[in-house]
Amino acid sequence: MTEGLAGFLAAYTAEAEEHLAAADAQALLIDASLRKGESNARAVRELFRALHTLKGLSAMVGVEPVVAVTHRMETALRAADRAGGRLSLPTLETLLRGLQTVASQVRALADGRDAPEAPRGLLDALAALEADVARADDAEVRLDLDPAVARSLAPFEVQEIARGARAGRRAVRVDFVPSRERAEAGQTITTARERVGRVGDIVKVVPLSVAATERAPGGIAFALVLLTSASDEAVAEAAWAEPASVRVVAAPRAAEPEVNATRGDEPEVASLDVGRRDAVRVDRARVDAVLDALAPVFASRARVSAEVTSLRAAGGDTRAIAAALSDDARRLRELRAAVLRLRMVPLAEVLGRVNLVVRGLQRSSGKLVRLEVDAGDAECDKVVADQVFPAVVHVVRNAVDHGVETPEERRRAGKPEEATLRVVGRQRSSAEVEVTVSDDGRGVDAAAVASRAGEPAPADDEALLAMLCRAGLSTRASASAVSGRGMGMDIARRVVEGLGGALSMRTEAGAGTSFTMRLPTTLSVVDVFTFECGAQRFAAPLSAVDEVIEADAPVRGPSLGAGAAVAMVERGGAMIPMVDLEAALGMGDGRGARRKAMVLRRGGEALAFAVDRVLGLQEVVVRPLTDPLLRVRGVSGAADLGDGRPTLVLDLAALREAVGGGAA
Amino acid sequence: MAEVLVVDDSRVMREMIVACLRSLPGAVFTQAASGLEAIERLSLKRFDLVLLDLNMPDIGGVEVVEFVRAQDTLRALPVMVVTTRGDEASRERVMAAGATRFMTKPFTPEALAAEVRGLLGEGAGAGR
Amino acid sequence: MSELYVVFRVGEAEYALSAREVARLEPCEGVTPVPGGPKHLAGVAQVRGRFIPVIDLRVRFGLDPAPTGPDTRLVVGTVGARTVALRVDRARETVRLSEGDVAAPPRMIAERTLGYVRGVARVAGRALLVMDLPTVVGEEGV
Repeated sequence: MTEGLAGFLAAYTAEAEEHLAAADAQALLIDASLRKGESNARAVRELFRALHTLKGLSAMVGVEPVVAVTHRMETALRAADRAGGRLSLPTLETLLRGLQTVASQVRALADGRDAPEAPRGLLDALAALEADVARADDAEVRLDLDPAVARSLAPFEVQEIARGARAGRRAVRVDFVPSRERAEAGQTITTARERVGRVGDIVKVVPLSVAATERAPGGIAFALVLLTSASDEAVAEAAWAEPASVRVVAAPRAAEPEVNATRGDEPEVASLDVGRRDAVRVDRARVDAVLDALAPVFASRARVSAEVTSLRAAGGDTRAIAAALSDDARRLRELRAAVLRLRMVPLAEVLGRVNLVVRGLQRSSGKLVRLEVDAGDAECDKVVADQVFPAVVHVVRNAVDHGVETPEERRRAGKPEEATLRVVGRQRSSAEVEVTVSDDGRGVDAAAVASRAGEPAPADDEALLAMLCRAGLSTRASASAVSGRGMGMDIARRVVEGLGGALSMRTEAGAGTSFTMRLPTTLSVVDVFTFECGAQRFAAPLSAVDEVIEADAPVRGPSLGAGAAVAMVERGGAMIPMVDLEAALGMGDGRGARRKAMVLRRGGEALAFAVDRVLGLQEVVVRPLTDPLLRVRGVSGAADLGDGRPTLVLDLAALREAVGGGAA
Repeated sequence: MAEVLVVDDSRVMREMIVACLRSLPGAVFTQAASGLEAIERLSLKRFDLVLLDLNMPDIGGVEVVEFVRAQDTLRALPVMVVTTRGDEASRERVMAAGATRFMTKPFTPEALAAEVRGLLGEGAGAGR
Repeated sequence: MSELYVVFRVGEAEYALSAREVARLEPCEGVTPVPGGPKHLAGVAQVRGRFIPVIDLRVRFGLDPAPTGPDTRLVVGTVGARTVALRVDRARETVRLSEGDVAAPPRMIAERTLGYVRGVARVAGRALLVMDLPTVVGEEGV
């Protein structure tokens, strides 16, 4: 790593994952186009860009294995881009394998390991890619455009306008003129672009020199060329321009039957980023602003309740006010629920992306898998959806790699050669969704797992899952290139539990395995334990705490690296380790005598955190701490318990990891 | 005081660049995440130096340099292109378009700081 | 053209911050310490329903931390999309400075203050250090 830039590794893995997600999405679009016999020059260029950026970033932080893969992919895509975006399905498949390899390399880094070198075979295959050079036909399209704008359009962009016009949309141009006042009011080319992107598909944005006037003090303007079905007024409003200034560049033509036929398949892909009909797209920050504004109302309500209680204690008649207050409480809860629903996205959007993963896995594993995805109308919070996707991918990888047999094995077992993998999303209640990944493969071999773990055979599926989730354990004797040595399950479980959900498994020898993730639909309202430790008050989600026990008679244990001592405390007849919470947070020496301990729930060995006093249980609005300065390990957010000051909400699972790693 | 505009679509890359240059006394950094945003910012405020990535959404670094050089007010603005290796072909184009310097990622913080110090020194000498 | 500045004291020095970058002044109350952050992070506070970081400017400028007193204030500033509170020893006045009043800092000051100071203003015999908020906050906002 370049000296001095080591601190950027965490930021690197986060951003690398963003570029990979963008690359995946573009690959999906290319795939959809190819299957319709079309090329998709824009998606090819965007895929190229995502990989190029990733390559540059990886070179900067010195992650050479990623550079090796992305460089070869980039070269192939550059050639395809120059050939008008044409590439073949086999080429795309090879590129997909490349993407998966990079994803596993980045994951390794995120887990604190070195990025593994890519398999030689893949590198050679990528290097040998010859993009098909058949050029897109240069059909004549007449555009009514300013020469300065027309000059800036690439052939594929002209093609795109022509295709859009054939499909019944108008190509229009609207200009955005920046100024300092506008910038201060948040009206910039970046926001204008976003807004215009919501009323149509932007083909190109061209900067133009104009005479510097009072209206255009910078002497520039931006011409946005887009395909749209929206009115001039809507387009103008999006760009903060006059409706009269919107000019038609190319008018729609009668749709050809052939175009209609292909349009029928589109929603499947289009729904990935376009969203549903009749939907209003709202910036998530705006929804969050409403939630932020709502949170203090809850807090002040708690104060009013306390006042009413003391009034009653003093002999006052509080019946009327109490009734009004409880009415209020109900309405407030409804209002909050309504706002939270605004952030909901269909689970189908997330699960649809599994398709791509499975196709890549089939190729690299030589197994035959038919994928069925069904998410019905289930919805969950955008944050939950985004965070759970990697877990779903891990489980799917695990199923194809470990669960599904080779075609010969399946034939011998009397099964169809093609295995069935079902990914089903279901709304269990307004508060919970469930994602199940099931295969009809060989089932988990409990005896083999136990023998590899060097432990007695597990009593039931739950114990077997716990064993599987122990990092580094794989049921396959040989390290698998596909799932990266069975590292997936513990990651999947950590993600699911981090969201306050639960992972469970059912398996039957010879018949298959199914993993079920139960997840909260939203993260924002949480039941928490509140407690004191040292001079400070904290909260922890009820879902993370198994029970609260007395901690008066601990047995001192060895000291950890940073001075946090591990003691032992009795719980249900067994001795379990106990760590001082203040010390685990790095806020004290942990030598004070605590009275209570919270036992952490699920996942691995029981661990108790010693605290001073448990204050109670309450429902709070947990808000994430978004400022970079406040993103620290072990703290998942903060809540106002009614006193106006933030109370930190702890992520006990992350704290356990910190303590377990010796880095308290 | 020198106003520096850092243009790159990678947030991490922008922050790394700023981190490399933080030791420069008096330099003030503004970031832009796209070529369009860079052009907008350049039209609204005076900058002493632009550090520019080549590969960005919408319009790339070459187009930014071409546009900047066509503006009377920005003709003399020092523009250092900072981009990924493998773009040597683009180097010709962007230098022809009028970029002042070209630097390849990965670079060391010292090398970047030295280049920037040089460019800011030159600019100050020539401009005032 | 003149501009309004908020003047505050940190240790023995007086600083000025453009009023355009200041959202409000608050008494220093309800700051919850956050473990694991940088040394100069005093904690998190709630201002107008938002949880924002509080930077202890004494620590940021290399002084020893001081207990909260009646004069201690939070200067709530905005950098791009971020809102950040600065804990200062005292903040009582505003001054109007015109461009001509602010000079570039002497090289020694600029180097010693690591870019936190972008200018020096002389007002009635006092020297005000004009603070560069993005540098003080770190990670420049876009």
